[in-house]
Amino acid sequence: MKGALKDFARRMIAIDRRIIFLLIAAATLLPLLNPFGLPIKVSPEVKAVYDYMDALPERSVFLLSFDFDPSSKPELEPQAVALLRHAFRKNLRVIAMTHWITGTGLADGVVAQVAAETGKERGKDYVFLGWAPGGYALIISMGQDLYKAFPSDYSKTPTLGMPVLEGVRNLRDVNYMVSLAAGGAGIEMWYVFGKDKYRFEMAGGATGVIAPGLYPFLRSGQINGLIGGLQGAAEYETLIGRKGMAVAGMDAQSATHFVIIVLVVLCNVFYFTLRGDKGKPV
Amino acid sequence: MIFLKRQLPLAITFVMGVVFALQYYIPHPVSEEAITKVSDWMKIISGFALVLGIASVFHVHAVKIRRQAPGWGYSGVLFAAIVITMGVGFWSGGESKADGAQTAFGWLYDYTMVPLQGTMFSILAFFIASAAYRAFRARSPEASVLLVSAVVVMMGRVPLGQFLAPWTWDVTQWLLNVLNSAVRRAILIGVSMGSVGLSLKIILGKERSYLGGGKDQ
Repeated sequence: MKGALKDFARRMIAIDRRIIFLLIAAATLLPLLNPFGLPIKVSPEVKAVYDYMDALPERSVFLLSFDFDPSSKPELEPQAVALLRHAFRKNLRVIAMTHWITGTGLADGVVAQVAAETGKERGKDYVFLGWAPGGYALIISMGQDLYKAFPSDYSKTPTLGMPVLEGVRNLRDVNYMVSLAAGGAGIEMWYVFGKDKYRFEMAGGATGVIAPGLYPFLRSGQINGLIGGLQGAAEYETLIGRKGMAVAGMDAQSATHFVIIVLVVLCNVFYFTLRGDKGKPV
Repeated sequence: MIFLKRQLPLAITFVMGVVFALQYYIPHPVSEEAITKVSDWMKIISGFALVLGIASVFHVHAVKIRRQAPGWGYSGVLFAAIVITMGVGFWSGGESKADGAQTAFGWLYDYTMVPLQGTMFSILAFFIASAAYRAFRARSPEASVLLVSAVVVMMGRVPLGQFLAPWTWDVTQWLLNVLNSAVRRAILIGVSMGSVGLSLKIILGKERSYLGGGKDQ
Protein backbone atom coordinates (compact mmCIF):
# COMPACT_ATOMS: atom_id res chain seq x y z
CA MET A 1 0.00 0.00 0.00
CA LYS A 2 2.81 2.35 1.02
CA GLY A 3 4.76 1.46 -2.08
CA ALA A 4 1.77 2.11 -4.33
CA LEU A 5 1.24 5.49 -2.67
CA LYS A 6 4.86 6.42 -3.25
CA ASP A 7 4.70 5.30 -6.85
CA PHE A 8 1.62 7.44 -7.34
CA ALA A 9 3.36 10.43 -5.69
CA ARG A 10 6.42 9.91 -7.88
CA ARG A 11 4.28 9.80 -11.03
CA MET A 12 2.34 12.88 -9.97
CA ILE A 13 5.42 14.91 -9.13
CA ALA A 14 6.74 14.26 -12.64
CA ILE A 15 3.39 15.02 -14.26
CA ASP A 16 3.47 16.23 -17.87
CA ARG A 17 3.60 20.01 -17.76
CA ARG A 18 1.06 20.18 -20.59
CA ILE A 19 -1.59 19.03 -18.08
CA ILE A 20 -0.70 22.05 -15.90
CA PHE A 21 -0.91 24.29 -18.97
CA LEU A 22 -4.38 22.90 -19.71
CA LEU A 23 -5.54 23.54 -16.14
CA ILE A 24 -4.33 27.16 -16.31
CA ALA A 25 -5.97 27.66 -19.69
CA ALA A 26 -9.27 26.31 -18.32
CA ALA A 27 -8.99 28.45 -15.18
CA THR A 28 -8.49 31.53 -17.36
CA LEU A 29 -11.12 30.85 -20.00
CA LEU A 30 -14.06 29.46 -18.01
CA PRO A 31 -14.49 32.48 -15.66
CA LEU A 32 -14.24 34.81 -18.68
CA LEU A 33 -17.11 32.88 -20.31
CA ASN A 34 -19.09 32.54 -17.08
CA PRO A 35 -18.12 35.35 -14.69
CA PHE A 36 -19.01 34.86 -11.03
CA GLY A 37 -18.62 38.56 -10.18
CA LEU A 38 -17.35 38.56 -6.62
CA PRO A 39 -17.15 41.95 -4.86
CA ILE A 40 -13.87 43.87 -5.09
CA LYS A 41 -12.34 45.23 -1.87
CA VAL A 42 -10.62 48.61 -2.16
CA SER A 43 -7.20 49.08 -0.60
CA PRO A 44 -6.10 52.36 1.06
CA GLU A 45 -3.32 52.88 -1.52
CA VAL A 46 -5.78 52.86 -4.44
CA LYS A 47 -8.36 54.92 -2.51
CA ALA A 48 -5.65 57.56 -1.94
CA VAL A 49 -5.21 58.04 -5.71
CA TYR A 50 -8.96 58.25 -6.23
CA ASP A 51 -9.46 60.72 -3.35
CA TYR A 52 -6.70 63.03 -4.55
CA MET A 53 -8.03 63.06 -8.12
CA ASP A 54 -11.56 63.56 -6.90
CA ALA A 55 -10.59 66.57 -4.79
CA LEU A 56 -8.88 68.41 -7.68
CA PRO A 57 -10.77 71.48 -8.93
CA GLU A 58 -12.06 71.52 -12.52
CA ARG A 59 -9.47 72.28 -15.25
CA SER A 60 -6.61 71.19 -12.98
CA VAL A 61 -3.70 69.69 -14.88
CA PHE A 62 -3.38 65.91 -14.71
CA LEU A 63 -0.30 64.32 -16.27
CA LEU A 64 -0.52 60.62 -17.15
CA SER A 65 2.66 58.90 -18.26
CA PHE A 66 2.19 55.59 -20.08
CA ASP A 67 5.50 54.00 -19.16
CA PHE A 68 4.76 50.58 -20.59
CA ASP A 69 4.37 48.73 -23.86
CA PRO A 70 1.90 46.14 -25.18
CA SER A 71 3.38 43.31 -23.09
CA SER A 72 1.89 44.92 -19.96
CA LYS A 73 -1.32 45.99 -21.65
CA PRO A 74 -3.65 43.56 -19.80
CA GLU A 75 -2.69 45.01 -16.42
CA LEU A 76 -1.92 48.65 -17.16
CA GLU A 77 -4.40 49.55 -19.87
CA PRO A 78 -7.40 49.04 -17.52
CA GLN A 79 -5.64 51.32 -15.00
CA ALA A 80 -5.16 53.98 -17.68
CA VAL A 81 -8.76 53.72 -18.85
CA ALA A 82 -10.14 54.01 -15.30
CA LEU A 83 -7.89 57.00 -14.47
CA LEU A 84 -8.78 58.77 -17.73
CA ARG A 85 -12.51 58.19 -17.22
CA HIS A 86 -12.22 59.69 -13.75
CA ALA A 87 -10.13 62.65 -14.96
CA PHE A 88 -12.46 63.45 -17.86
CA ARG A 89 -15.53 63.08 -15.66
CA LYS A 90 -13.95 65.63 -13.28
CA ASN A 91 -13.21 67.93 -16.24
CA LEU A 92 -9.48 67.87 -15.58
CA ARG A 93 -7.07 68.86 -18.32
CA VAL A 94 -5.17 65.73 -19.31
CA ILE A 95 -1.59 65.68 -20.58
CA ALA A 96 -0.58 62.19 -21.66
CA MET A 97 2.83 60.96 -22.79
CA THR A 98 5.05 57.89 -22.79
CA HIS A 99 8.67 57.05 -22.06
CA TRP A 100 8.42 53.75 -23.94
CA ILE A 101 8.67 54.15 -27.69
CA THR A 102 6.97 50.80 -28.27
CA GLY A 103 3.99 51.95 -26.22
CA THR A 104 3.30 55.12 -28.21
CA GLY A 105 0.57 53.78 -30.51
CA LEU A 106 -1.09 51.93 -27.66
CA ALA A 107 -1.16 55.03 -25.43
CA ASP A 108 -2.51 57.22 -28.24
CA GLY A 109 -5.31 54.71 -28.90
CA VAL A 110 -6.31 54.49 -25.22
CA VAL A 111 -6.41 58.26 -24.71
CA ALA A 112 -8.33 58.85 -27.95
CA GLN A 113 -10.83 56.08 -27.16
CA VAL A 114 -11.65 57.30 -23.62
CA ALA A 115 -11.76 60.92 -24.80
CA ALA A 116 -14.20 59.99 -27.56
CA GLU A 117 -16.55 58.13 -25.20
CA THR A 118 -16.58 61.10 -22.80
CA GLY A 119 -16.88 63.71 -25.57
CA LYS A 120 -13.54 65.39 -24.91
CA GLU A 121 -11.63 67.31 -27.56
CA ARG A 122 -7.96 66.92 -28.50
CA GLY A 123 -6.06 70.16 -27.90
CA LYS A 124 -8.81 71.64 -25.74
CA ASP A 125 -9.39 69.02 -23.03
CA TYR A 126 -6.44 66.74 -23.54
CA VAL A 127 -3.17 66.37 -25.40
CA PHE A 128 -1.09 63.32 -26.18
CA LEU A 129 2.53 64.41 -26.40
CA GLY A 130 3.83 61.06 -27.61
CA TRP A 131 7.37 59.86 -27.02
CA ALA A 132 10.69 61.71 -26.96
CA PRO A 133 14.15 60.29 -26.21
CA GLY A 134 16.03 61.00 -23.03
CA GLY A 135 14.26 59.24 -20.16
CA TYR A 136 15.22 61.20 -17.06
CA ALA A 137 16.75 63.98 -19.20
CA LEU A 138 13.34 64.43 -20.80
CA ILE A 139 11.75 64.85 -17.36
CA ILE A 140 14.35 67.51 -16.44
CA SER A 141 13.71 69.18 -19.76
CA MET A 142 9.93 69.16 -19.14
CA GLY A 143 10.61 70.57 -15.69
CA GLN A 144 12.40 73.52 -17.26
CA ASP A 145 10.24 74.16 -20.31
CA LEU A 146 7.48 71.84 -21.53
CA TYR A 147 7.39 73.47 -24.97
CA LYS A 148 11.10 72.89 -25.59
CA ALA A 149 10.76 69.25 -24.52
CA PHE A 150 7.68 68.75 -26.72
CA PRO A 151 7.41 71.48 -29.38
CA SER A 152 4.54 69.53 -30.96
CA ASP A 153 2.20 66.76 -29.84
CA TYR A 154 1.86 63.26 -31.32
CA SER A 155 -0.32 64.54 -34.15
CA LYS A 156 2.31 67.19 -35.05
CA THR A 157 0.23 70.10 -33.71
CA PRO A 158 2.40 72.79 -32.05
CA THR A 159 1.97 72.63 -28.29
CA LEU A 160 2.51 76.36 -27.75
CA GLY A 161 -0.87 78.07 -27.67
CA MET A 162 -2.93 74.89 -27.17
CA PRO A 163 -5.96 75.69 -24.98
CA VAL A 164 -5.38 72.56 -22.89
CA LEU A 165 -1.91 73.85 -21.94
CA GLU A 166 -2.99 77.38 -21.06
CA GLY A 167 -0.98 78.57 -18.05
CA VAL A 168 1.25 75.50 -18.15
CA ARG A 169 4.94 76.31 -18.60
CA ASN A 170 6.63 73.33 -17.02
CA LEU A 171 6.15 70.47 -14.56
CA ARG A 172 5.70 72.92 -11.68
CA ASP A 173 2.25 73.71 -13.14
CA VAL A 174 1.11 70.08 -13.02
CA ASN A 175 -1.39 69.44 -10.21
CA TYR A 176 -1.23 65.67 -10.18
CA MET A 177 0.77 63.07 -12.00
CA VAL A 178 0.47 59.29 -12.34
CA SER A 179 3.10 57.09 -13.94
CA LEU A 180 1.84 53.73 -15.13
CA ALA A 181 4.99 51.69 -15.13
CA ALA A 182 6.07 48.26 -16.22
CA GLY A 183 9.76 48.58 -15.44
CA GLY A 184 12.80 50.81 -15.00
CA ALA A 185 11.71 53.96 -16.83
CA GLY A 186 8.76 54.80 -14.65
CA ILE A 187 7.70 55.69 -11.14
CA GLU A 188 11.14 55.91 -9.49
CA MET A 189 12.48 58.03 -12.34
CA TRP A 190 9.48 60.36 -12.21
CA TYR A 191 9.94 60.75 -8.46
CA VAL A 192 13.71 61.38 -8.50
CA PHE A 193 13.90 63.72 -11.51
CA GLY A 194 10.35 65.09 -11.47
CA LYS A 195 8.42 65.35 -8.23
CA ASP A 196 11.41 65.85 -5.95
CA LYS A 197 12.73 68.73 -8.04
CA TYR A 198 9.61 70.36 -9.47
CA ARG A 199 7.24 69.81 -6.54
CA PHE A 200 4.07 68.22 -7.87
CA GLU A 201 2.07 65.45 -6.23
CA MET A 202 2.32 62.05 -7.83
CA ALA A 203 1.15 58.45 -7.60
CA GLY A 204 2.07 55.25 -9.36
CA GLY A 205 0.35 52.44 -11.19
CA ALA A 206 2.37 49.29 -11.73
CA THR A 207 2.19 45.69 -12.85
CA GLY A 208 1.64 43.13 -10.11
CA VAL A 209 5.27 42.03 -10.42
CA ILE A 210 6.86 45.40 -9.64
CA ALA A 211 4.19 46.83 -7.31
CA PRO A 212 5.61 45.28 -4.08
CA GLY A 213 8.94 46.99 -4.79
CA LEU A 214 7.22 50.39 -4.72
CA TYR A 215 5.78 50.10 -1.21
CA PRO A 216 8.78 51.86 0.42
CA PHE A 217 8.02 54.93 -1.76
CA LEU A 218 4.38 54.73 -0.70
CA ARG A 219 5.12 54.37 3.02
CA SER A 220 7.54 57.31 2.94
CA GLY A 221 5.01 59.54 1.14
CA GLN A 222 7.18 59.88 -1.96
CA ILE A 223 4.15 58.71 -3.90
CA ASN A 224 0.73 59.34 -2.40
CA GLY A 225 -0.95 56.23 -3.79
CA LEU A 226 -0.30 53.03 -5.69
CA ILE A 227 -2.44 51.03 -8.09
CA GLY A 228 -1.01 47.52 -8.24
CA GLY A 229 -1.74 45.13 -11.09
CA LEU A 230 -5.14 44.07 -12.37
CA GLN A 231 -6.49 43.98 -8.79
CA GLY A 232 -5.59 47.69 -8.39
CA ALA A 233 -7.28 48.52 -11.69
CA ALA A 234 -10.40 46.61 -10.59
CA GLU A 235 -10.40 48.57 -7.32
CA TYR A 236 -10.23 51.86 -9.24
CA GLU A 237 -13.05 50.75 -11.56
CA THR A 238 -15.13 49.95 -8.47
CA LEU A 239 -14.40 53.40 -7.02
CA ILE A 240 -15.47 55.28 -10.15
CA GLY A 241 -18.54 53.05 -10.40
CA ARG A 242 -17.79 51.85 -13.89
CA LYS A 243 -16.80 48.23 -14.16
CA GLY A 244 -14.58 47.38 -17.09
CA MET A 245 -11.84 45.07 -18.28
CA ALA A 246 -10.16 44.77 -14.87
CA VAL A 247 -13.24 43.67 -12.91
CA ALA A 248 -14.03 41.20 -15.72
CA GLY A 249 -10.48 39.84 -15.57
CA MET A 250 -10.41 39.42 -11.78
CA ASP A 251 -12.55 36.26 -11.91
CA ALA A 252 -10.01 34.67 -14.23
CA GLN A 253 -7.20 35.83 -11.95
CA SER A 254 -9.00 34.40 -8.91
CA ALA A 255 -9.37 31.03 -10.61
CA THR A 256 -5.75 30.86 -11.82
CA HIS A 257 -4.45 31.82 -8.36
CA PHE A 258 -6.49 28.99 -6.91
CA VAL A 259 -5.24 26.47 -9.43
CA ILE A 260 -1.66 27.49 -8.60
CA ILE A 261 -2.34 27.24 -4.84
CA VAL A 262 -3.86 23.76 -5.26
CA LEU A 263 -0.90 22.69 -7.42
CA VAL A 264 1.62 23.98 -4.86
CA VAL A 265 -0.19 22.20 -2.00
CA LEU A 266 -0.37 18.95 -3.97
CA CYS A 267 3.27 19.21 -4.95
CA ASN A 268 4.21 19.53 -1.26
CA VAL A 269 2.01 16.58 -0.27
CA PHE A 270 3.79 14.42 -2.86
CA TYR A 271 7.15 15.84 -1.79
CA PHE A 272 6.59 14.88 1.86
CA THR A 273 5.29 11.46 0.82
CA LEU A 274 8.55 10.80 -1.01
CA ARG A 275 10.96 12.57 1.35
CA GLY A 276 11.68 9.39 3.31
CA ASP A 277 13.06 7.66 0.21
CA LYS A 278 16.82 7.89 0.79
CA GLY A 279 18.94 7.98 -2.28
CA LYS A 280 16.04 8.65 -4.59
CA PRO A 281 15.83 12.17 -5.96
CA VAL A 282 12.57 14.03 -5.27
CA MET B 1 46.47 59.86 -28.31
CA ILE B 2 46.71 59.04 -24.59
CA PHE B 3 45.45 62.56 -23.84
CA LEU B 4 42.38 62.09 -26.09
CA LYS B 5 41.66 58.52 -24.97
CA ARG B 6 42.31 58.86 -21.26
CA GLN B 7 43.05 62.27 -19.76
CA LEU B 8 40.38 64.24 -21.64
CA PRO B 9 37.47 61.84 -20.86
CA LEU B 10 38.60 61.69 -17.22
CA ALA B 11 38.70 65.49 -17.01
CA ILE B 12 35.26 65.86 -18.65
CA THR B 13 33.79 63.22 -16.31
CA PHE B 14 35.29 64.92 -13.24
CA VAL B 15 34.12 68.45 -14.17
CA MET B 16 30.63 67.40 -15.29
CA GLY B 17 30.20 65.07 -12.30
CA VAL B 18 31.13 67.72 -9.74
CA VAL B 19 29.27 70.58 -11.46
CA PHE B 20 25.99 68.70 -11.89
CA ALA B 21 26.10 67.11 -8.44
CA LEU B 22 26.30 70.66 -7.04
CA GLN B 23 23.80 72.05 -9.55
CA TYR B 24 20.97 70.08 -7.90
CA TYR B 25 21.35 72.21 -4.76
CA ILE B 26 21.66 75.62 -6.49
CA PRO B 27 18.26 77.05 -7.47
CA HIS B 28 19.72 79.95 -9.52
CA PRO B 29 18.61 80.83 -13.11
CA VAL B 30 22.15 80.17 -14.42
CA SER B 31 22.14 76.75 -12.79
CA GLU B 32 18.65 76.00 -14.20
CA GLU B 33 19.77 77.10 -17.68
CA ALA B 34 22.80 74.81 -17.42
CA ILE B 35 20.70 71.74 -16.57
CA THR B 36 18.26 72.59 -19.39
CA LYS B 37 21.10 72.77 -21.89
CA VAL B 38 22.71 69.57 -20.66
CA SER B 39 19.37 67.71 -20.66
CA ASP B 40 19.08 68.66 -24.36
CA TRP B 41 22.54 67.17 -24.95
CA MET B 42 21.50 64.03 -23.11
CA LYS B 43 18.38 63.69 -25.28
CA ILE B 44 20.56 63.97 -28.41
CA ILE B 45 23.01 61.39 -27.03
CA SER B 46 20.04 59.09 -26.23
CA GLY B 47 19.00 59.38 -29.87
CA PHE B 48 22.45 58.28 -30.95
CA ALA B 49 22.27 55.40 -28.47
CA LEU B 50 19.18 54.18 -30.31
CA VAL B 51 21.11 54.13 -33.60
CA LEU B 52 24.03 52.40 -31.87
CA GLY B 53 21.62 49.80 -30.45
CA ILE B 54 20.18 49.02 -33.88
CA ALA B 55 23.67 48.77 -35.36
CA SER B 56 24.69 46.41 -32.55
CA VAL B 57 21.64 44.17 -33.09
CA PHE B 58 22.41 44.02 -36.83
CA HIS B 59 26.04 43.13 -36.15
CA VAL B 60 25.30 40.37 -33.60
CA HIS B 61 22.70 38.68 -35.81
CA ALA B 62 24.72 39.10 -39.01
CA VAL B 63 27.57 37.19 -37.34
CA LYS B 64 25.11 34.49 -36.23
CA ILE B 65 23.81 34.05 -39.78
CA ARG B 66 27.29 34.07 -41.33
CA ARG B 67 28.49 31.36 -38.92
CA GLN B 68 25.18 29.49 -39.18
CA ALA B 69 25.11 29.26 -35.39
CA PRO B 70 22.25 27.27 -33.79
CA GLY B 71 19.00 29.19 -34.25
CA TRP B 72 20.42 31.39 -37.03
CA GLY B 73 17.07 31.18 -38.82
CA TYR B 74 15.52 33.30 -36.08
CA SER B 75 18.14 35.97 -36.80
CA GLY B 76 16.93 35.92 -40.41
CA VAL B 77 13.37 36.45 -39.20
CA LEU B 78 14.61 39.35 -37.05
CA PHE B 79 16.31 40.97 -40.05
CA ALA B 80 13.20 40.52 -42.17
CA ALA B 81 11.01 42.03 -39.43
CA ILE B 82 13.32 45.02 -38.99
CA VAL B 83 13.58 45.68 -42.72
CA ILE B 84 9.82 45.30 -43.32
CA THR B 85 8.91 47.49 -40.31
CA MET B 86 11.41 50.18 -41.32
CA GLY B 87 10.25 50.06 -44.94
CA VAL B 88 6.58 50.32 -43.98
CA GLY B 89 7.45 53.00 -41.42
CA PHE B 90 9.22 55.18 -44.01
CA TRP B 91 6.43 54.56 -46.54
CA SER B 92 3.85 55.71 -43.97
CA GLY B 93 5.98 58.70 -43.04
CA GLY B 94 6.37 57.32 -39.51
CA GLU B 95 2.68 57.98 -38.86
CA SER B 96 0.28 55.40 -37.45
CA LYS B 97 -2.70 57.48 -38.60
CA ALA B 98 -3.23 59.80 -41.54
CA ASP B 99 -6.43 61.83 -42.01
CA GLY B 100 -8.09 59.78 -39.28
CA ALA B 101 -7.39 56.48 -41.05
CA GLN B 102 -4.90 53.87 -39.97
CA THR B 103 -1.71 53.68 -42.01
CA ALA B 104 0.14 50.46 -42.87
CA PHE B 105 2.59 51.28 -40.07
CA GLY B 106 -0.29 51.64 -37.57
CA TRP B 107 -1.74 48.33 -38.81
CA LEU B 108 1.61 46.62 -38.36
CA TYR B 109 1.80 47.94 -34.78
CA ASP B 110 -1.79 47.07 -33.82
CA TYR B 111 -1.94 43.64 -35.45
CA THR B 112 1.56 42.26 -35.05
CA MET B 113 3.45 44.01 -32.27
CA VAL B 114 0.60 44.34 -29.76
CA PRO B 115 -0.61 40.71 -30.00
CA LEU B 116 2.93 39.30 -30.21
CA GLN B 117 4.12 41.14 -27.10
CA GLY B 118 0.88 40.24 -25.30
CA THR B 119 1.32 36.58 -26.24
CA MET B 120 4.94 36.47 -25.07
CA PHE B 121 4.01 37.93 -21.70
CA SER B 122 0.89 35.80 -21.18
CA ILE B 123 2.86 32.60 -21.81
CA LEU B 124 4.61 33.41 -18.51
CA ALA B 125 1.45 32.48 -16.59
CA PHE B 126 1.72 28.91 -17.87
CA PHE B 127 5.42 28.59 -17.12
CA ILE B 128 5.07 30.15 -13.66
CA ALA B 129 2.33 27.64 -12.79
CA SER B 130 4.46 24.75 -14.02
CA ALA B 131 7.57 26.07 -12.20
CA ALA B 132 5.59 26.64 -8.98
CA TYR B 133 4.38 23.03 -9.08
CA ARG B 134 7.90 21.67 -9.47
CA ALA B 135 9.97 24.06 -7.36
CA PHE B 136 7.80 25.58 -4.62
CA ARG B 137 8.54 23.02 -1.91
CA ALA B 138 8.93 23.35 1.85
CA ARG B 139 12.49 22.00 1.83
CA SER B 140 13.65 24.22 4.74
CA PRO B 141 12.13 26.54 7.39
CA GLU B 142 12.97 29.57 5.18
CA ALA B 143 11.32 27.98 2.14
CA SER B 144 8.28 27.14 4.29
CA VAL B 145 7.89 30.78 5.37
CA LEU B 146 8.12 31.86 1.73
CA LEU B 147 5.60 29.23 0.71
CA VAL B 148 3.04 30.20 3.36
CA SER B 149 3.45 33.94 2.61
CA ALA B 150 3.04 33.33 -1.11
CA VAL B 151 -0.16 31.31 -0.62
CA VAL B 152 -1.61 33.97 1.72
CA VAL B 153 -0.75 36.83 -0.67
CA MET B 154 -2.12 34.90 -3.66
CA MET B 155 -5.39 34.48 -1.76
CA GLY B 156 -5.50 37.99 -0.33
CA ARG B 157 -4.97 39.67 -3.72
CA VAL B 158 -7.99 38.12 -5.47
CA PRO B 159 -11.73 38.40 -4.75
CA LEU B 160 -12.22 34.62 -4.45
CA GLY B 161 -9.53 34.40 -1.75
CA GLN B 162 -10.98 37.42 0.06
CA PHE B 163 -14.40 35.77 -0.07
CA LEU B 164 -13.30 32.33 1.17
CA ALA B 165 -10.81 33.56 3.79
CA PRO B 166 -11.44 37.26 4.55
CA TRP B 167 -8.50 37.40 6.97
CA THR B 168 -6.05 36.92 4.06
CA TRP B 169 -6.82 40.51 2.91
CA ASP B 170 -5.57 42.03 6.19
CA VAL B 171 -2.58 39.72 6.41
CA THR B 172 -1.65 40.53 2.79
CA GLN B 173 -1.88 44.27 3.45
CA TRP B 174 0.33 43.84 6.52
CA LEU B 175 2.86 41.70 4.64
CA LEU B 176 3.09 44.25 1.79
CA ASN B 177 3.11 47.38 3.94
CA VAL B 178 5.32 46.25 6.79
CA LEU B 179 7.56 43.26 6.05
CA ASN B 180 7.89 43.83 2.31
CA SER B 181 8.43 47.58 2.73
CA ALA B 182 11.11 47.10 5.37
CA VAL B 183 13.07 44.58 3.31
CA ARG B 184 12.70 46.53 0.05
CA ARG B 185 13.81 49.72 1.81
CA ALA B 186 16.92 47.98 3.12
CA ILE B 187 17.72 46.74 -0.39
CA LEU B 188 17.05 50.18 -1.89
CA ILE B 189 19.30 51.93 0.62
CA GLY B 190 22.04 49.38 -0.02
CA VAL B 191 21.77 49.76 -3.78
CA SER B 192 21.70 53.56 -3.49
CA MET B 193 24.79 53.65 -1.28
CA GLY B 194 26.51 51.40 -3.82
CA SER B 195 25.48 53.76 -6.63
CA VAL B 196 26.84 56.77 -4.74
CA GLY B 197 30.10 54.92 -4.15
CA LEU B 198 30.40 53.89 -7.80
CA SER B 199 29.56 57.42 -8.98
CA LEU B 200 32.28 58.87 -6.76
CA LYS B 201 34.79 56.34 -8.08
CA ILE B 202 33.88 57.29 -11.67
CA ILE B 203 34.01 61.06 -10.96
CA LEU B 204 37.36 60.75 -9.20
CA GLY B 205 38.78 58.55 -11.97
CA LYS B 206 39.22 55.43 -9.84
CA GLU B 207 36.76 53.44 -11.95
CA ARG B 208 37.85 53.60 -15.60
CA SER B 209 36.22 50.62 -17.27
CA TYR B 210 33.94 52.98 -19.26
CA LEU B 211 37.04 54.18 -21.14
CA GLY B 212 37.37 50.77 -22.82
CA GLY B 213 40.46 48.59 -22.97
CA GLY B 214 42.54 50.01 -25.83
CA LYS B 215 46.31 49.64 -26.12
CA ASP B 216 46.89 53.09 -24.72
CA GLN B 217 45.03 52.37 -21.45
